[in-house]
Amino acid sequence: MRSSRVLLGFGLCLFAGALLVGNVPADDISERARKLHFSSIVLDTHADTPQRFFSQTFDLGKRNADGHVDIPRMREGGLNVQFFSVWIDGRILGPPAVQKALDQIDAIRENVKKHSNDLVFCRTADDIRRAHAQGKIAILIGIEGGHMIGNDIRVLRMFGDLGVRYVTLSHFYNDEWADSSTDKPVHNGLTDFGKEVVREMNRQGILVDISHVSDKSFYDALEVSKAPLMASHSSCRAISNHARNMTDQMIKDLAARGGVIQINYEEAFLDQAYKDAYEEVAGGVVSNKFQADIRKTCGDDSECQMRESAKVVRRLTEEGKLPHVSWEKIIEHIDHVVKLVGPDHVGLGSDFDGADMPDGMEDCSKLPKITEALLRKGYSEDDIRKILGGNILRVMEQAERVSRGMESPLSENAAR
Amino acid sequence: MSRPLLLSIACLCAVFFLAGTVKPDEIADRARILHFSSIVVDTHDDTTQRLLDGKFDLGTHHDSGSIDIPRMKEGGLGAIFFSIYIPSSITGPDAVKRALDQIDAVREQVRRHPKDLMLATTAAEVRESRRQGKIAALMGVEGGHMIANDLGVMRMYAALGARYMTLTHSGNNDWADSSTDKPAHNGLTDFGKEVVREMNRLGMMVDISHVADKTFYDALEVSTAPLIASHSSCRAICDVPRNMTDAMIKSLASKGGVIQINYNNGFLSQEYHNAEVAAAASWLREESHAELKKRCGDESNADCYLVEGDRIMRRYVEQGRLPRVDYAKIVEHIDHAVKVAGVDHVGLGSDFDGAFMPFGMEDASDLPKITEVLLRKGYSESDIRKILGENILRVMAQAERVAKEMGSKDAAK
Repeated sequence: MRSSRVLLGFGLCLFAGALLVGNVPADDISERARKLHFSSIVLDTHADTPQRFFSQTFDLGKRNADGHVDIPRMREGGLNVQFFSVWIDGRILGPPAVQKALDQIDAIRENVKKHSNDLVFCRTADDIRRAHAQGKIAILIGIEGGHMIGNDIRVLRMFGDLGVRYVTLSHFYNDEWADSSTDKPVHNGLTDFGKEVVREMNRQGILVDISHVSDKSFYDALEVSKAPLMASHSSCRAISNHARNMTDQMIKDLAARGGVIQINYEEAFLDQAYKDAYEEVAGGVVSNKFQADIRKTCGDDSECQMRESAKVVRRLTEEGKLPHVSWEKIIEHIDHVVKLVGPDHVGLGSDFDGADMPDGMEDCSKLPKITEALLRKGYSEDDIRKILGGNILRVMEQAERVSRGMESPLSENAAR
Repeated sequence: MSRPLLLSIACLCAVFFLAGTVKPDEIADRARILHFSSIVVDTHDDTTQRLLDGKFDLGTHHDSGSIDIPRMKEGGLGAIFFSIYIPSSITGPDAVKRALDQIDAVREQVRRHPKDLMLATTAAEVRESRRQGKIAALMGVEGGHMIANDLGVMRMYAALGARYMTLTHSGNNDWADSSTDKPAHNGLTDFGKEVVREMNRLGMMVDISHVADKTFYDALEVSTAPLIASHSSCRAICDVPRNMTDAMIKSLASKGGVIQINYNNGFLSQEYHNAEVAAAASWLREESHAELKKRCGDESNADCYLVEGDRIMRRYVEQGRLPRVDYAKIVEHIDHAVKVAGVDHVGLGSDFDGAFMPFGMEDASDLPKITEVLLRKGYSESDIRKILGENILRVMAQAERVAKEMGSKDAAK
């Protein structure tokens, strides 16, 4: 019974995929690409969709006219593994940050329960493979910013026990123990406590995410961590020179320890011209001059903030103040990493529902285009499967192995 | 397979050895065999407060307090609910974070002692721990203020293993009246009722210890699963608001619930309670506070306050300044509840490490005495097993069934 349903689901996906690209002449390569894409584990390590879970109007189970991710579009795009991001502003610290993070973890878990025909909550690489075999979309949780642990290793452990599978060490602002790439350095990377956080993450099998952190924090984490690191949503600084992206040297060092960089589709991170223009008209990605207006309209409603900021970008693009960026830039970044360190160290970290998407990657239903572009570029099917999800699964498995080897007594210094 | 057997034989030997001073008669033998072959469940222990400084190790035998692994084994305690407790004056996000810290402390002890402890969240898991020769560690949240008026937070406590929540502690919270505060809500508010329904949905047992009588009746009406009183005794014997009236016990039982008898002297004995109230008005409060301050410094040293508080009170009893309460009083409460509501609705909720214990029940190693006294009173073996643990396991399993039914109804919507 179960297998026939999976098969049916798979067939429908193929059919939907075929339908969508119907206007493109179906050649041999696009046929192969579709087959490859819809039989692969396609894993995205970063979407900010949980910000929408508190809105009365958003329903993950329905096709939405706005935003980038919902179940129908995930099915359409063959996106079958999604890390949902838990995020609150990096200036909220201490117990209030902890409670708000708990609320988002709860909202993710409740959404999975509510849509249990389509979604399944996963913690391990094995869980993900099982979900894939059942034709379900695997949902995992990442915490985007170490400030949410409230400076307390015990809270980190509780997040881990609730299913959090990565923690980004900082967000836009430095936290109490790690410098951010978009703030003035105050800790010279990681503090001693920050290093302890990394070790505890290793013990818990929680992936250490170095997106957002300062270069020095990255190198400190690389030195301390026993498990490979990941950048859950960062791109290449060689192509767009933004602090949020990684230099070639960093990518090489990350790869040398088995880690992976998951390419972010944010236009400013993909394209230098866009980044420059954006800074000119709006200031940086972190603080831009439209934020005050958006705040006036939306208050703390992050769903509204997302919508309004997308509007601003659309308007600026129409006015010609911001250049168009093509989705093919994503491929350029992937290819850059592959040329630098081989196909084992790059993956997908869209930043859907948290960033401005390039033309042609309006939402997750467009993901099959990535597979097709890579195939046309001459990538082997094996290599493409790695990029789509195999690489990050390998890193997860490695982190799980490290964790099993570290089942040690509690740290003497658990609380700060 | 042979290990649990070996372990239980070792336990039995230990008990024989320990009880060597008492003249072993036939009933004592039967009691020991019965006790150590039963699942003994205690639904309320404040030992968590001792775990917070990270120095206390549950794995070694302590001279202070009432609970550690060696003494639990000695007393045949098979399942223990560690209480997650912070004072009801602490609310909001601070309460949430501190509750998480305590849940972590319990879970870390389980990780630290994988051969002796197993985290259990269902009745079946308690039985499985037993099969593996391990003590089942469970958690209860003692006070609804810790959810900070946020059902999401409560769901996360449940996901982390909390299996009951006491609706209030000694102060009212924003949605429920406490038995030891001035009523402000006339029982449960609408949100309070929503909390109870959500607990039902989660399979989290609704604990009515500490709550006002009206809150109890509101919860009884709303809850679709049986209620528990995790650590309360009988008001007919000792008239304090923390205990339950006969009418309450009957109503609780009629919906399948269970009262887990609290061993606190002040809840067991009217004489003790009256003397304590009188003493508090004259010398007790000031003297004991001064003594505690001398021994422990400020109140942040929870472990010291707990251990020394007990020593100080014990000394007052030895000096004849407070009456002595004997552990047999526990059995009197059990027997009373059985007479009022039948044998299916009573169990054990010691309040070890959180209350002043009667003489002869200094710690978990004394638990087999309860079994022996019940047997001597003429209780049948199967009734004793119910009181020791089967009743609360039945309520747990029932709460799980209710949750499952509600879950499938949700899914059908």
